[in-house]
Amino acid sequence: MNALLPLWSFVVRTSVKWPILQTLAPFVPVVALWWAVAAWGPFPPAFFPSPADVVAKFVSLMEKGILPEYLGDSVARLAIGAAVGIGLGVPLGLWIGLNKSAHRALWPVLLFFQAIGDIAWLPILIIWFGFGLTTMTFVIVYTVLFPVILNTVLGVRSVRIELHRAAQSLGASPARIVGEVVVPGALPNIMTGLRNGLGYGWRALIAAEMIVGTSGIGFLMFDARRAGSVTEIVLGMIVLGILWYIVDAWILAPIEQATGRRWGLVTQ
Amino acid sequence: MKSLSLKNLAKTYFDAYKGEHVTAIRDVSLEVPAGEFVSIVGPSGCGKSTILNMVAGFIPHSGGEILVGGTPVKGPGPDRGVVFQSFALFPWKTVLDNVGFGPKMRGVPKAERDAIAREYLALAGLSHAADRYPNELSGGMQQRVGVVRALANEPDVLLMDEPFASVDAQTRMTLQDELSRIWEERRPTVVFITHDVPEAVFLANRVVVLSKGKVLAEVEVPISRPRVWDRLVADDEFKDLSNQVLALVRSA
Repeated sequence: MNALLPLWSFVVRTSVKWPILQTLAPFVPVVALWWAVAAWGPFPPAFFPSPADVVAKFVSLMEKGILPEYLGDSVARLAIGAAVGIGLGVPLGLWIGLNKSAHRALWPVLLFFQAIGDIAWLPILIIWFGFGLTTMTFVIVYTVLFPVILNTVLGVRSVRIELHRAAQSLGASPARIVGEVVVPGALPNIMTGLRNGLGYGWRALIAAEMIVGTSGIGFLMFDARRAGSVTEIVLGMIVLGILWYIVDAWILAPIEQATGRRWGLVTQ
Repeated sequence: MKSLSLKNLAKTYFDAYKGEHVTAIRDVSLEVPAGEFVSIVGPSGCGKSTILNMVAGFIPHSGGEILVGGTPVKGPGPDRGVVFQSFALFPWKTVLDNVGFGPKMRGVPKAERDAIAREYLALAGLSHAADRYPNELSGGMQQRVGVVRALANEPDVLLMDEPFASVDAQTRMTLQDELSRIWEERRPTVVFITHDVPEAVFLANRVVVLSKGKVLAEVEVPISRPRVWDRLVADDEFKDLSNQVLALVRSA
């Protein structure tokens, strides 16, 4: 056993030095298994491509410029969803959370419309707006908006009354209380809403692209099905996973780290 | 510093679920001259926190008058600083920014309000904690910040709602020593709510015993200052007064 200790120590030191290794390590067995099954050969390569086939397809689609363009389209749509989700969802959530009568009147309605999830709107949207960008934008904005609103409302209402009172007795006006107390107090919930909303929105967007799209990763995958290219479909799936990981690990998690955790509002 | 005066203060509210009117405060009159420290004690449910919440303006009163320096109270305001049992520090602000919050709301520029905050932090021996966040501090330290935050806004009256009830016994005595010292230095007008009789006697010039929404008795505390636990813990005058107040509370 003792002989293994220096090796273990080496692994720990290396992974501290390069945190990316910690992220990639769990995928080693997954890819190894995939490769082994592909090489073992119970399925024809056109039906079950190997990792090498997918990498080759990736290189060729990058060279042709198709993948960067489609990826750009999908990410731009996600960014619009995020922007509208924050720009509209957070103010609405603050209003509903702070205003008792607005809460009473709108909460059941919000829950109702949240339940009609994303692509359940597609049939009627296609009749209203046709196949295209408007329909896809509606789906992603709709999907991001509700989790952001609902979580913002919860966040606003979770701010303890003593904090409102403390601010009031220190001379804060209602408007200053929103900026100094309500928004920072609700921020961990707002982030949760955004993370959930973008997660649902991303999936809804891919589904919408498959059904009504003319570009984007979802369209790429569905188009590949028509051409019978399993390699391209698998490539699309991998791109989706990696992209979401990047959004989560490089954008959402650092914001949470810098806010809620430092303040003790979110436990490690 | 200004005086506080309660005239025939009453609080009744309608309990919609039970369908009946409830009287929390029947008829309370109390004069707190500027620069006096008054403790209000009483058993649970006697209405002592209700009085404080009405004076702070957090809840409306349904009868009588609350005057701060002769001006009637309408809602919360910076003339009445509040120290909460749950500390109520802003978790997203550093200690310095918590203490500077009141001046910030008055529009005091950043450099100046930081100077004010540092001065008050030094008063409570908290200078070293200025850049930390509340959740990084112990309960006793957090409540020191809570007291300093209220003082730094220079209120006319300081309202304290069982401020030391949620810290351990050792820390509580230290905090009482410190509050006594700070009061002797600055002489603010203080209304201090507690159910701890020795605490009430130790800190106050006068102890008000509350029972069933009315003032049962007022007991003057002529013990000399400076007051510290090292001296008072074995002081006969302190023990007699404490026992006298305790008997009143138990009869309430």
